[in-house]
Amino acid sequence: MSVVVRKFEPDAKLKKMLDQPGGVTAEQALARAKQGLESIREDCLGATDEKVASLQALAGGNELTRGAKMYRLSNEVFAEAGAFGLGELSAVAHSLCSLLAAHEGSMPPRAAVAVHVEAMRALRRPELAGDKTARMAVLQGLRGVVQKFTAP
Amino acid sequence: MSGVDPNARINLSKANVLLVDGSQHSLDMLVQIMKGFGAAEVHRAQGVGETERLLKSKSFDLIVIDPNLADGDGYALVRDLRHSTNGSPNAFIPVILVSGHARASDVAKARDTGANYFVAKPITPNVLLQRIMFVSRDKRPFVEVGAYVGPDRRFKFEGPPPGSDGRRNNDLKSPLGTADEPNMSQNEIDMMIKPQRVLL
Repeated sequence: MSVVVRKFEPDAKLKKMLDQPGGVTAEQALARAKQGLESIREDCLGATDEKVASLQALAGGNELTRGAKMYRLSNEVFAEAGAFGLGELSAVAHSLCSLLAAHEGSMPPRAAVAVHVEAMRALRRPELAGDKTARMAVLQGLRGVVQKFTAP
Repeated sequence: MSGVDPNARINLSKANVLLVDGSQHSLDMLVQIMKGFGAAEVHRAQGVGETERLLKSKSFDLIVIDPNLADGDGYALVRDLRHSTNGSPNAFIPVILVSGHARASDVAKARDTGANYFVAKPITPNVLLQRIMFVSRDKRPFVEVGAYVGPDRRFKFEGPPPGSDGRRNNDLKSPLGTADEPNMSQNEIDMMIKPQRVLL
């Protein structure tokens, strides 16, 4: 059975545009983008804290669709905390996403979810902001707990 | 600034960019990054309906979209865009998919959308700029085969980019150094080029 394949070249409008004289250097573009991100840092991290609080409320509740809501919120925390350099918080949120995805359609054990949310809250404490060792310890502790929950 | 030549010039001063993300704060971040890159017009949408309306009413030069939208399937939205060949000005524009944690099923969906590139969150300006430059210089033709419309997904491996050591274990390092086997004879080379000839 033959399959019909049509090949074509779309107009390379973006390339023509990028190559136009003028514009900025990549270095300038990146510096301006990073400056722009810094300008919304506090606002975004404030929203991240609110999302962690929402995760805590959902984790303690009995809402039937809470798994999907928690997955979405946790995914946002993963992306937004990671973009602002909060690597450990981002890693915890990613771990929670993996846990929720592995139990799609149901809910993972409450304790497994709660330990993730507690780890997120701990990592946002001001006293841990400048203490990389303590943040890594929180992450390490969480990994140990996750291993227990996922052990066959 | 790995991957992007700091002196390379980019001009997005006439570019109309559409950013789509279900999270308002992720959208804010994308807007700041694209404005920093000098994009002339940046439009934002948080849902499928809003995105579809914008795609019908405006002509864009680039779409950056996180397909995990609250009100529908962003993967289907990109796939439908590629099939909207009835004069839609946006049908074949570059699309960069960005995604956070992805389920295994999402990876397959992403592959089949017809998007140009996939970028994993957390987004950094470096990676996004690199991908925009990749997309603009991408020489792959578009193909329409079965239900798929989008860039040809078959990549020709031409070794690691010049000046880099590559990431694969079997990438050849530069300089290659001296040969550790004897040179091939002309007959052996001819055999490789014209395999129908037989050495007797």
